Amino acid sequence: MKSLSALAQSYIERFDTALETLPGQSSRSITDLRKAGLEKFSQQDFPNKRVEEWRYTNLSALTKGAANEDSSGAPALAASSFDADFEIVFIDGIFSENESRLDKLPQGLSLSSLATELGNGAVFSLNDEEDRSLIALNTAFMQDGFCLHVTENTQISGVLGITFKSTGTETHGLHIRNRISLDDGASLTMLERHEGKGSYFSNPVTDISIGNNARLDHYKFQNESVSAFHLALTDVEILQGGIYKNFSFSVGAKISRNELKTVILGSDAESHLDGAYLMRGEQHCDTTTLTEHKVPQNISNQTYKGVLDDRAHGVFQGKIHIAPNAQQVAGDQLSKALLLSDHAGVDCKPELEIYADDVKCSHGATSGELDDDALFYLQARGISESNARKILIEAFLGDVLTSIDNDVVREYFNTQSALWLQNS
Amino acid sequence: MLEIKDLRAEIGGKEILKGINLTINPGEIHAVMGPNGAGKSTLSYVLSGRQGYEVTAGSVTYQGQNLLDMDPDVRACSGIFLAFQYPVEIPGVASATFLKTALNAQRKFRGEEELDAIQFLKLVREKTKELGIKDDMLKRAVNVGFSGGEKKRNEVLQMALLEPQLMLLDETDSGLDIDALKVAADGVNRLRSPERSALIITHYQRLLDYIVPDFVHVLADGKIVKSGDKSLALELEEKGYAEISAA
Repeated sequence: MKSLSALAQSYIERFDTALETLPGQSSRSITDLRKAGLEKFSQQDFPNKRVEEWRYTNLSALTKGAANEDSSGAPALAASSFDADFEIVFIDGIFSENESRLDKLPQGLSLSSLATELGNGAVFSLNDEEDRSLIALNTAFMQDGFCLHVTENTQISGVLGITFKSTGTETHGLHIRNRISLDDGASLTMLERHEGKGSYFSNPVTDISIGNNARLDHYKFQNESVSAFHLALTDVEILQGGIYKNFSFSVGAKISRNELKTVILGSDAESHLDGAYLMRGEQHCDTTTLTEHKVPQNISNQTYKGVLDDRAHGVFQGKIHIAPNAQQVAGDQLSKALLLSDHAGVDCKPELEIYADDVKCSHGATSGELDDDALFYLQARGISESNARKILIEAFLGDVLTSIDNDVVREYFNTQSALWLQNS
Repeated sequence: MLEIKDLRAEIGGKEILKGINLTINPGEIHAVMGPNGAGKSTLSYVLSGRQGYEVTAGSVTYQGQNLLDMDPDVRACSGIFLAFQYPVEIPGVASATFLKTALNAQRKFRGEEELDAIQFLKLVREKTKELGIKDDMLKRAVNVGFSGGEKKRNEVLQMALLEPQLMLLDETDSGLDIDALKVAADGVNRLRSPERSALIITHYQRLLDYIVPDFVHVLADGKIVKSGDKSLALELEEKGYAEISAA
């Protein structure tokens, strides 16, 4: 048997001790679940570059145990406040009642911490998957997270804030497990934020189920410290007429991966996965999506735009899978990257796997530099080079940011994007 | 206003300008005419500061300062305006935003108060009305989807708004129908004053029917081979460049 990475080894050695303090320790079924997770993880180790889905993202800086050696740990962007209507806050992966504002939760929305639920012996059927070791690891060590439920036909107005702050003091990794379920006809808008300082490994796994005609607007702001590892996996199931919209705005982490899997199980359902990432220095940002159309008559689309400076690196892997009977499906995919430096780069792998014949699909990927002609044109009208560059970068990001439905979130992301540009 | 002395410039190691001498005094309009490949556009780019052109010898003095030391935006703020032969399309940047940013950058440079959105809109409406340009182009992205004529009109509008001291017109007449040509000429003529000068670079004499130059120069193979008054343009039209250049 091949030898495991140093970090995997340390997780396995620590597991028995950890079991005694992890939430749900008194529940047999939860302990069994964790053990099964550890077993799967130890068979696979962390993904390495020999795994096809991980060809472009190298985790060796993490798995060799270097996670805590990087000392800079500066926040990518200064921590910002977002005026959410209600907010649940986690510090180093643990629910913080003090910082959360849950007193005004509307009727029909229930929100609790995973640790509490596990402690109460709640039984979960986690859609764990054989082939993804990061989920298996999360299952073994999951410590906290949120459980969110919106009851039938309840439309929540306002924005729910979900904030994860890291102080850089947690050395064993943040194994956050979140569960979201929207009953039929329910709707919710949420902004998930990750920010921190120092060096740490965050591994949030989120399971989402969208009921018939339900709608979730899921915004994510990834502003981890530039020494952090952020490996997020989100699995979504969408029933008939359901809509899932995800917009991920990423500026943080040393190495990040945002892996999104949506499974469309009903007609007239929609999956929209969009995002923007702004990276500089040595940052690496990977967006990997899988959209599965299991039944006929539904749509999916994806638009990602990246701005990469210095030696930053972007990855976009998007796969659309259309099952044999899933006729009259539309799937579109677009990835664009703007390279501000000769040393920045991007890898793109769009994939269409289509087994039905009456479908409409498209995919495209481009990368390029700022247009010299446009730059000179702006300068020739009196605009300084640095301002001209900003104007062109904002223009590049413009259409994807303006596509954000929620005004408050759009404004917030625009502000963060302007802050990022100010630092260049 | 502008004094060019023995200017030599190359691009990619190939010498294009081979010793240009030209003096433009305040209030004067000069036309530089020449065949394709003579170095007309290179001259306009060197004067406006485009990257990629290397000045190997000579000097350019603008209002007493060394022009070649200035960044392109500083040249623009100091009153030099290049009307592009091929105005650039910039998707995602609204024309109005672009114009306001440019105007305010120049005002700030001169130590003047920046205009707010309302003041700017008032000014721009005034200018479009004067020039007979439709202001719906302001809402569109800069030059995106504009016809050739619309692009040149947009250049003229920018010029009217920025009120430069020295106008450089690079083949502004190329690809224009007669109506658009008149709008362009009108734009320049409106700005004509004893303090303002212009350098009009053109292949054809046509534009000079509408903007009457004080001096006409023939540029051939990187040098000014002949200078004269406006009648030289007519002579060129009649005899062609080959004969004049050889003379």
